[in-house]
This record gives sequence, C-alpha cells and structure tokens, in this order.
Amino acid sequence: MTGQSTVVVRTQASVVETATTSRARRPSGPRPRQIGSYVFVAIVMLAFLFPLAFLMNTALKSNAEFAGNPVGLVHHPQWGNFAEAWQKGNFGSYILNSILYTVAGAGIGTFIALVLGFPVARGYLRGSRWLMPLFVVVLFLPNALITQFQLLLRLGLYDTRLGYVCMVAAGVGVGPLLFHGFAKSIPRELDEAAAMDGIGYWRYLFTFIVPLSKPALTTVFMLQAVWIWNEIILATVLLPDQSKAPLTLGLFNFQGTYSNQWGLLAAATVIVAAPLVIAYVFMQRYLVAGILGGAVKG
Amino acid sequence: MRASFGLGLAILTVFGLVPAIGVAVVSFTDIRGLPGIPVSWVGLENFEAFFSRAHLGDNLNALRNTLVFAIFSTVFQIGLGLLIAIVLNKQLKGRNFYRSVVFMPTVLGVTVTGLIWTLFFNPSGGPAASILSVFGARSAFFGDPALALKLVIFVQVWATLGISVIIFLAGLQSIPAELYEVSAIDGASPRQQFRHVTFPLLAPSMTANVLLGIVNALQSYQLAYVLTGPINKSTQLLSLLIYTQGFGGVPGTSISQTQGYAAAISMVQFFLVGVIALGTLAYLRKREARL
Repeated sequence: MTGQSTVVVRTQASVVETATTSRARRPSGPRPRQIGSYVFVAIVMLAFLFPLAFLMNTALKSNAEFAGNPVGLVHHPQWGNFAEAWQKGNFGSYILNSILYTVAGAGIGTFIALVLGFPVARGYLRGSRWLMPLFVVVLFLPNALITQFQLLLRLGLYDTRLGYVCMVAAGVGVGPLLFHGFAKSIPRELDEAAAMDGIGYWRYLFTFIVPLSKPALTTVFMLQAVWIWNEIILATVLLPDQSKAPLTLGLFNFQGTYSNQWGLLAAATVIVAAPLVIAYVFMQRYLVAGILGGAVKG
Repeated sequence: MRASFGLGLAILTVFGLVPAIGVAVVSFTDIRGLPGIPVSWVGLENFEAFFSRAHLGDNLNALRNTLVFAIFSTVFQIGLGLLIAIVLNKQLKGRNFYRSVVFMPTVLGVTVTGLIWTLFFNPSGGPAASILSVFGARSAFFGDPALALKLVIFVQVWATLGISVIIFLAGLQSIPAELYEVSAIDGASPRQQFRHVTFPLLAPSMTANVLLGIVNALQSYQLAYVLTGPINKSTQLLSLLIYTQGFGGVPGTSISQTQGYAAAISMVQFFLVGVIALGTLAYLRKREARL
C-alpha cells in the first residue's frame, strides 16, 4: 500500500503543474493519428460547455422569447434579467450568509486540521498517535442528519447561524489527514531550533508552521469551502428561517417560486454560478492537490 | 499545545463524532423532532419496522434505487474517466484547458448543476426535447418514472467525472515512459501496450477511484433531491428516505416525524456502505497484487 501510494504522491506535483502551466511545444499541426483524439476531446468539451452556454443563452431571454424560441440563439438580450433576478431572489442577503458560513466554517475547519494534524504528525502529545486513525474515520461516518438536528435542538442552537457554522466546520473531510501528511515533510530540526530559542508552541505554530504550510492549508481551506458553499441539505434542515438561508437554498427556493420563468431562473443560476467559475480559475490547482492527496490517503 | 489541540478535538467531537455515534444510539429510541417530548427506548422496533410489511415495499425500492444508482454511476464514472484521462494525457494542444473544463463541475455544486440540467431536460422546449422532436419523439424526462433515475445517474456522472479523470491522470503520469519505449521496440501495438503496461500499472489509481466512487455514490442523494424532489418514488434513495422520514420532505414539517426510525435507516445504510466498501477494497487489493 505505502509503496503504491508514494508513486501517486510523487506525481501529484506534476499534475498540478501541468494543470496550470502550458507545456505545448510542438510547432506543427496535429498528426493524422491525433485527429481522432481531437474529435473525441471536442465531443467531451461540448458535453461540458454546452450546458453552461445554453444556461447563459437562456438567461438573456425574456419570457416571450423563451416561449417562442426556447433553444435558438437569443435575439434580444435582456440584461435586465440579472437585476430582476437579483432583486426578486433577494440574493444580496443570501450571498452574505453564504460568505459568513463558508469563511467561518472553513476557517474553523482548517484550524482544526492545523492544531490536530501537526502534533499528531509529530507525536508530541502522549497517545496522540492513536488519533491518526480518527482522521480516516471522519471520512466514513454514517449519515447523521437526524442527530445533527437533535444536537442543535437540544443545545438551543437550532435555527441559529452559530449552530450551522459549527456543523459545517466539523465536516472537515480529508483536511486533518492532508495536513497530517504535509506536517511530516516539515523538518523536525525547525521545531528543535525554535524550542532552543525559547519560542512558545502557539507562536511557533502560527509564525513558523502556518507560513510554511500555506499551500497545504489553502488546499484544506478550499476543499472545505467549496463543500460548505454548495451545501444544501443541512441548511434546509437546520435553518428554517429564510433570512438565514445560504445562497444554495435561496436559489432552490427561487426555482420553486419562478419555475416557469426560465429566463429569470437561468439568470439567477448564472448569478450563483459565475462567482464559482471565476473562483475556480484560481482554486483549481489547490483542489487538484487536495483531491489527489485525499484519494491516496483516504 | 494542549489547549489548542483540546479545542480542535472538542469541536470535532461535539459536532462531528457525537452526532455520528449518536445515530446508532438514537436508532433504538422513539425520538421525535420536537424538544420536550419524552424519549424512550424501543429496542429493535425501528429495525423491525424497516423490514415490516408496511415499509418493506418502499424500502426495497429505495435500496434497489441506491444500488442501481451507485453501480451505474461508478461504472460510467470509471469507464469514461479512464478514457478521457488517456486522451488528455496525450500531447494535445490546449490540454490543460480541456482538463480544467472536465474538472470544473466539481465547484459548481448540486444546486447549480441541478438547475442547469433541469433547464436542459425541460420537457417543453429544452435542448434535449428539441433533439427528440426531430425524431418525432417526446419525453417528460425527470417526470418520467422510467427515465428519472437514469437521468439523475447521467447528471451525477457529469458532475463527478472530473475527479476520476484527475486521479487517473496522476496514475498515468506515474508510469515511466521507458516502459512504453521498451514495449514499442518489442513490437507491441498501442492496444497491447494498454493491456500490458497502462492497465496493470494503473491499478492503484483504479482502487482509489472505484472505492471513492462507490462510497460517494452510495451516500449521495443531493442531486436526486434537487432534480426530482424528496418524495419521488422512482428516484427514492436510502439517504433521501432518511431525510423524508426524519423531516417530512418539506421544510417546516419536521414536528411529528419519528426520527428514531429515520436513524435506523441511517444505520442500515451505514452497514450497507461498510460491507460494500470493505468487500470492494479487499477485491481491489487482491487484484492489485495479481496485476
């Protein structure tokens, strides 16, 4: 197992690299035997990009135009759809909720990965090696929807922002495992040198380990942030109050209300999807690193 | 050290582990969705109810849907993922862009993905309906009980394919180029190279992919919820059943449901996932050793 894992781990860096930097060097056109590959890629691209293009196209249609011409290219783009959807869907306040939940939840989750992963990787606390399996166990927990609801109900945190943040923060996923693996690569001599200079643990952790671990911590944060940003079931169960709903729930409810106004609905979807697609450009390499790390160790 | 460690562990325990372990405890009670109602032990009653005549039809339906959903979405995810990874591992112009596009649905989330495909499969005038109408056919898509689960599987594969592709790409890049050169000198055709070099050496990626895929597919229900609603019989999955039994399927009607029964369904599902995951893992490990 370990032998095979390291093979994948070693190549992880190169996947990330080729995912972000271009390596195309061949100056000539495609060789004949590559044409088949290009045709295949074209079909795959169509399958992934056409639905998004169609969404954008629909978002610009008025109700009348959609009724008369549901599939064809838009003739009279209604840019006002976006403003109308934004206003009718109350997306401003949903976005603020989502930002709060995501930043707080993923922030706390990353903190958990840091303060658990580092000492366990080092074996600094007695019995803490025993906790390593816990990082794997958290990946395979049963569906706990009922007890998550009951717990918050009994703690008086049901239908509160704090309760929801605590729940999504505890959904750490592969975070502690990823950071545990990364912390092992930080030389132990650094710990010893810092201890010799009399630097306390907290200061060491936050002024030495955190800056050194920026890529790993960013990966942990991003993975959890994407999950929280897109979470909908827990929010439905734990936050019945509309004013506390995150963006996903806002969009889902919007669909219920305006289900036959496709232009407006598509515009609302674009409002929610556009930030994700833009953020994706910057997050991609971290997500790739995180998924590979999690796949190997999980 | 102790303070920060304790704090982290406390949050994880209280909000992560306690609910998870609590499911097992709660599944033996008649707990309800309201505070203040006395809770009593009912022994195995909830599990008996699960297999009772009144529920068995629904539950077997959900069980069958869950297995069909998990098996087919994993098979397509692995098959297409491997094919796409192999092509995107070639020296094609703009391949980094192609990789990014395939991986992108990972960030879109179930709500956006669900709405995009609801729009696409809109029975009155969506692109899919237009294609069908060329052949003089029509379909209710997600409204068609015979088709709904298949379409949910399709959307699930679309949304998770990128993860398989990334894992396979990592595996492909770890195969030394010399092996291909040597086998080419020995006169191996591309097909033979795939059979005797690529496929055996991809075994670890295959294990990771199959295991992640099947565990994820057995438990995921968010797309079915967004695409077809919580109470659609043809796409009723076990996880969705937990949700509808525990919370009534419509937000705000969570008051009188017996949540102990829903917790028992959670445990049945957990057992199922555990057995399938461990069985798959044992098989794949043996296969890795054989290859």
